[in-house]
Amino acid sequence: MARRWIQGLSRAFCIAKKDAKVYYFKAPNFTYGLLMPVSLFIAFSISGQINPSLIVSGLTSLVILFGTTSIEAVAVVLEKQTGTFERLLAAPVSFFTILLGKALAGLFFGLILAAVVLAPLSAISQVAVMNPLLVFIAIAFSSLTFSALGVLISAYAKWVPDAQMFSNLLRFPMVFLSGTFTPLELLPPQIEIVARFMPLTYSVEALRTSLGGSANTGTYLLDILVLGLFSIILLVLAARVLQRRLD
Amino acid sequence: MHAIVKASGLAKQYGHLLAVNRVDLEVFEGEIFGLLGPNGAGKTTMIRMLTGQTKPSSGTALIADHDIVHEPIKAKERVGVVPEVSNVYDEMSAWDNLIFAAELYCVPRSEREGKAAELLNLFGLYDRRGDKVSNFSKGMKRRLTIAAALVHKPRIVFLDEPTTGLDVQSLRMIRNLLKELNETGVTIFLTTHYIEEADQLCQRIAIINQGKIVALDSPEKLKAKAEEQHAVEVSFSASKDLEGRLKNLKHVSGVLRVGDKFRLYVEDPSEAVPMLIDFCRKNDLKIVSINTIKPSLEDAFVKITGLSPEIMAIEKERVKRGESLG
Repeated sequence: MARRWIQGLSRAFCIAKKDAKVYYFKAPNFTYGLLMPVSLFIAFSISGQINPSLIVSGLTSLVILFGTTSIEAVAVVLEKQTGTFERLLAAPVSFFTILLGKALAGLFFGLILAAVVLAPLSAISQVAVMNPLLVFIAIAFSSLTFSALGVLISAYAKWVPDAQMFSNLLRFPMVFLSGTFTPLELLPPQIEIVARFMPLTYSVEALRTSLGGSANTGTYLLDILVLGLFSIILLVLAARVLQRRLD
Repeated sequence: MHAIVKASGLAKQYGHLLAVNRVDLEVFEGEIFGLLGPNGAGKTTMIRMLTGQTKPSSGTALIADHDIVHEPIKAKERVGVVPEVSNVYDEMSAWDNLIFAAELYCVPRSEREGKAAELLNLFGLYDRRGDKVSNFSKGMKRRLTIAAALVHKPRIVFLDEPTTGLDVQSLRMIRNLLKELNETGVTIFLTTHYIEEADQLCQRIAIINQGKIVALDSPEKLKAKAEEQHAVEVSFSASKDLEGRLKNLKHVSGVLRVGDKFRLYVEDPSEAVPMLIDFCRKNDLKIVSINTIKPSLEDAFVKITGLSPEIMAIEKERVKRGESLG
């Protein structure tokens, strides 16, 4: 049993490595992952509608969200279109392992993108990284959750334009309602309820807490737990959707 | 003999369409088994079910004694799959594609590189191992797809139309390699539209039509079943617009154009010869050559599936052009 689990994980890593090579580590992906969130932040910063303390956590979360979902949302669709997905289906791996592999590739990509943003941003804004381990965990869980969201979109979409449309339908409400630009406590209570169903809310909160803003271990742990649960639920859902789509 | 594939009542329903209809099938270890059928007969669906790519609507399939639905990982570990369309990664090199396949099947690290080099050499791709697959020809991609399916030393390889649309060199190479592979004990399960390919390679052939296996036997025994249908192959001094007129002749049940010749399906060849002489006289033609034809596997196929020779000719043309067939 344990051997099967290890083999499953090793195969998921092998798929992740292949996805990183084929889809992720290309210049346009890095630029798109950074461009959209940075543009949004500049726009809001210029108009003075943004709290400077939110910049580091908010921008890092957005970069992870846009960077991972943009590629993840089309990764399965592209493989279905080119026929390479059949290679994975015929291999001794479960649906869940295939999709976990895809989400792991997103996780690695999210970690790199976050590092690219976080280092210069914390230096400019003088927001010290109080506990690098907690920041790393928050980024890793955020990356995994957003990748899993991308995987679900990709499992559902039939064509690349569908995947892009579904991504934007989910991403943009999250950008404005998850406390990225405005602290959650300043939003109307009804909006806060909606925000609590959005993974970006927990990502921003976990990052802000771990970066040393308002150290609250309880909130941080809860955020990480919720992000973990989101990842599992989204991946299981994606596996089911994909199974149904393919049958 | 041990059955490496054992399907019982295997069926697949897509909405209202019954693509595969309660098929019972056994493929014995070490044989080359062919699945023949017209376009849309259910061949690809059969392969997809037997290789765990799609779940059967009902029935069971044991692959190397493992149920493909309940023990998919164990069953798939023993299987190599070559789909109809080559599915190697264009963005990766030939070498990286094989290493990826080896990792995916958990081939021990110490064996991966040796196995990849051996297969690339065998398939004549070693010198191009570092090149991106996007620069490969269709034949090279096909060879690489087959190599990737063999990297984990499977006990059985499923090949869906492995030679469709290939150049003659790649086609011959693949056919020879399949024979050699089979000689090492690997079971081959293939679907093909090239009936002569099935005739040359396969020890047993199943003919599937409208989702049902309608015949299963050795090529020679299948040919024997078509013996009551005779054919006369004739070449005329001119061949323009003759097909329609030949079809209208008495005793002719079908006409198939074969190069510059016409194959006429008749009940009694002795009646066909005087009839053709009369036809030539009326149409101011001369007979260049005339032969009675022993039933081929294609004749058996036409007879068993009920396909008209004309439809068969269209299918063959499509295969020649390398069009995707279901």
